[in-house]
Amino acid sequence: MDIIEHPPILRLPGIPDHVTYTWIAMLFLIVVSLFATRRLALVPTGAQNLMEMVLEQFHQILDEVIGAGGRRYLPLVGTLGLFILTSNLMGLVPGMASPTANLNTTAACALIVFFTYHVIGVRKQGFVTYLKHFAGPVPGPLKPLMFVIEVISHLARPLSLSLRLFGNMAGGHILIAIFFFMMGFDGLLGWALTGSFGGLVIGAPGTIVAAAFVIGFLLPLKLLVAFLQAFIFVMLTMIYITGALEEAEHEAHHAPAGHH
Amino acid sequence: MRRTLMFALMAVFAVPGVALAQAAAGGATDWVKPAAALAAGLGFGLAAGLCGLGQGRAAGSAVDAMARQPGNTNRIQTAMILGLAFIESLTLFVFVIAVILLFVKS
Repeated sequence: MDIIEHPPILRLPGIPDHVTYTWIAMLFLIVVSLFATRRLALVPTGAQNLMEMVLEQFHQILDEVIGAGGRRYLPLVGTLGLFILTSNLMGLVPGMASPTANLNTTAACALIVFFTYHVIGVRKQGFVTYLKHFAGPVPGPLKPLMFVIEVISHLARPLSLSLRLFGNMAGGHILIAIFFFMMGFDGLLGWALTGSFGGLVIGAPGTIVAAAFVIGFLLPLKLLVAFLQAFIFVMLTMIYITGALEEAEHEAHHAPAGHH
Repeated sequence: MRRTLMFALMAVFAVPGVALAQAAAGGATDWVKPAAALAAGLGFGLAAGLCGLGQGRAAGSAVDAMARQPGNTNRIQTAMILGLAFIESLTLFVFVIAVILLFVKS
């Protein structure tokens, strides 16, 4: 699939673009973190100030969604969020590709989330209790059916998580690529430059309208989507972790009544 | 008026069909690619339109709730964004299928 609005400048031979730009995103985040933690001060300045502000936002959402003890998962959630946000925003820089516009990157992130929240759930309440909870709070005969449905719904989570991020990013790229093609030398601008009557009447205003639409609407929309999709990914990660954690209390509440 | 419209519609729908039939007479699987393009376009149009209806309902209700309870704006907004993401993901499945239909060579 080669529809991208601006081909990436840096291309390593034999290595796919999304891998190269994943490394660049990693490098960027590592350098920013090093700068932020190089001279730690009580009253933060510069890079430290910025990173503290960002991480405080993460703390706030973690407290809101997971509640007490949620800050334990800041390393996972913060890393995923910052990496996805950086990757999304890299797609807007001319000459760079966005790694999240490739299904492999997003599937990797989603699989990490999938296995992590199951491991968290199993470690919190033991394997059998965790499995039991898939059957849900339904009467006995319905439990096998509920178990199957619940397993399918859990298996659909990484699928929808990865496809949502990938679809949003790749869809935006394809949309902007099509608009660039439409108003470029092969499209309206080329028609206007031929000097024909139709080109002057339709092509030239059409180019201006399309350019104004792209600059005024599509690129701000992509910026919004980049932040929004990173937020949604992080939010869903936290909700899945909450689901895996909460089941212990839920089970404890129902145990006396539900099991004989 | 109505008859003219119907003839125009018939022409629009029939002529590509005739062209397609003639093209198909040449090769055995020539119709796969146009059919895939048609399916991708129609399917994604349908998905996007219905997703618009659903998201419109969700966003409308959220705005209604925010107007009634201005103090809870943040939580309503978070819930709305999550709901919109879930609705949107169904459309994105169709998007992925359309991309597979259009770009993956089989």
